[in-house]
Amino acid sequence: MKKIIATLAFVMCFAGIALAQDELSFERKQAIDSLALEKVRDLSKYVKIVGSKETPFSEANRVIDRAEELFMSDAEIGVSSLGSNQITYYRVRKYFEHLMRLNYDRVEIEWYNIEYVSDLQRQPDGTYVGVITVFQTFRGYDQEGNLVYKDTTKKDITVYVKRKETQIGGRTIGFWDVLLGDMRVKETTNR
Amino acid sequence: MILLWVCNGIAQTIGDFKMDETELYAMTKQMGQFMRRFNYEEDQFGERLNPKDPRYHNKEMRRQSLPILFDQEKYGKQTELQRYFIEDVTKDDSTFMTFLGGRWYSEVSCTFKYNGKPVSVILFLAVEKEGLGSKWVLTNVYFSEFNKLFPNGEIAEREKHFLHPMSHELDFMNIYKAFQNPDVIEYYASKEFQPDYLTLFFYEIKQGKMVFQHVDGVKFHVLQIKDWYFEVSWFNRSGLNSGWLMSNVIYMPEKEKTNVIKFYQP
Repeated sequence: MKKIIATLAFVMCFAGIALAQDELSFERKQAIDSLALEKVRDLSKYVKIVGSKETPFSEANRVIDRAEELFMSDAEIGVSSLGSNQITYYRVRKYFEHLMRLNYDRVEIEWYNIEYVSDLQRQPDGTYVGVITVFQTFRGYDQEGNLVYKDTTKKDITVYVKRKETQIGGRTIGFWDVLLGDMRVKETTNR
Repeated sequence: MILLWVCNGIAQTIGDFKMDETELYAMTKQMGQFMRRFNYEEDQFGERLNPKDPRYHNKEMRRQSLPILFDQEKYGKQTELQRYFIEDVTKDDSTFMTFLGGRWYSEVSCTFKYNGKPVSVILFLAVEKEGLGSKWVLTNVYFSEFNKLFPNGEIAEREKHFLHPMSHELDFMNIYKAFQNPDVIEYYASKEFQPDYLTLFFYEIKQGKMVFQHVDGVKFHVLQIKDWYFEVSWFNRSGLNSGWLMSNVIYMPEKEKTNVIKFYQP
């Protein structure tokens, strides 16, 4: 709850109250970018926790629950590798469960600092849609500590931004609701 | 020049690994970033520029940064074509790319199963305004089997197939001839007739004969820029020239574009 109130305060501070405009101002776009990036950073954190072999099973499951809450209910994750264009589709929970079960003795998952945020475009119902691109490296080690698998993936994550209203202390407060949508995971040339 | 987009030695160290981010900054990561770079609407870190910022749409900065948007393996760094293109698009009446500006198309190469066998199909899509926003819509399809159904045919052969102008007086008793040879049925249509491949495609899908398998690749055809046509393709490679880049650039006066556009959006 504290987090929700803090987020609301943050958004209201930058985005103003209950102003549904067709064109977003530069400052408002930046405020929404920050909100969306916060969700993506949460996602990155959850991927690291679930992927880690040191995370207990129950804790990993709890984190998967949190990860699911970041996404729209019908969101899918489409994964392809350098060797094949074919995309394997996962639901968010399945994707994380797959990550949890990877057969390595130790894994390292790291995110590059780079985060690229697209412009927001409106879809026919007025919801804003954007894409955030991030990069991740993955390394899997065997029992002897040898690196047996490594890849760098580009993750293009859909972001939906919708103007919503809520009642706080009898007042109607407008806020920007941000949810993640489909995520495309594409292996990039080894770097 | 490329260094406009990157920083020297942007790196993070994780455990034993040093992850160099220079290439990732240089990469044109989204088609939207291609547009922003093309117009000079973001800085070298990919941060959106405020339209009030003097660097926004800055002509000189555009001139310097546009070469990185070319596939340099094909176009090199300073070819005549590149210079001509850059000079042209950065003139006083310079043109910018806009998402909702029309005249840009996505070409999506797909695999479908047609009558149970895998086949290649190319879909063309365009952004269309609707309701409060916009959406991608299918505008055309290329499937070789459809094209084979409607070959151009030789004029002499075409001239043999018609219903004479007094056929109506005979209650069209001769119309059966039009249907005798299905291969040339379209010769009996008006000269304005153009096969609508998208309708054929939808029909096959609805009949269950054509079933989607997967997307194999995506590229873009851009005709928005005055007197130019270019393709933007994805280059997944190491180095400072990767991501969405101009892979085919052609000088094309506006009047020549009409026919090209008809191919993407009949």
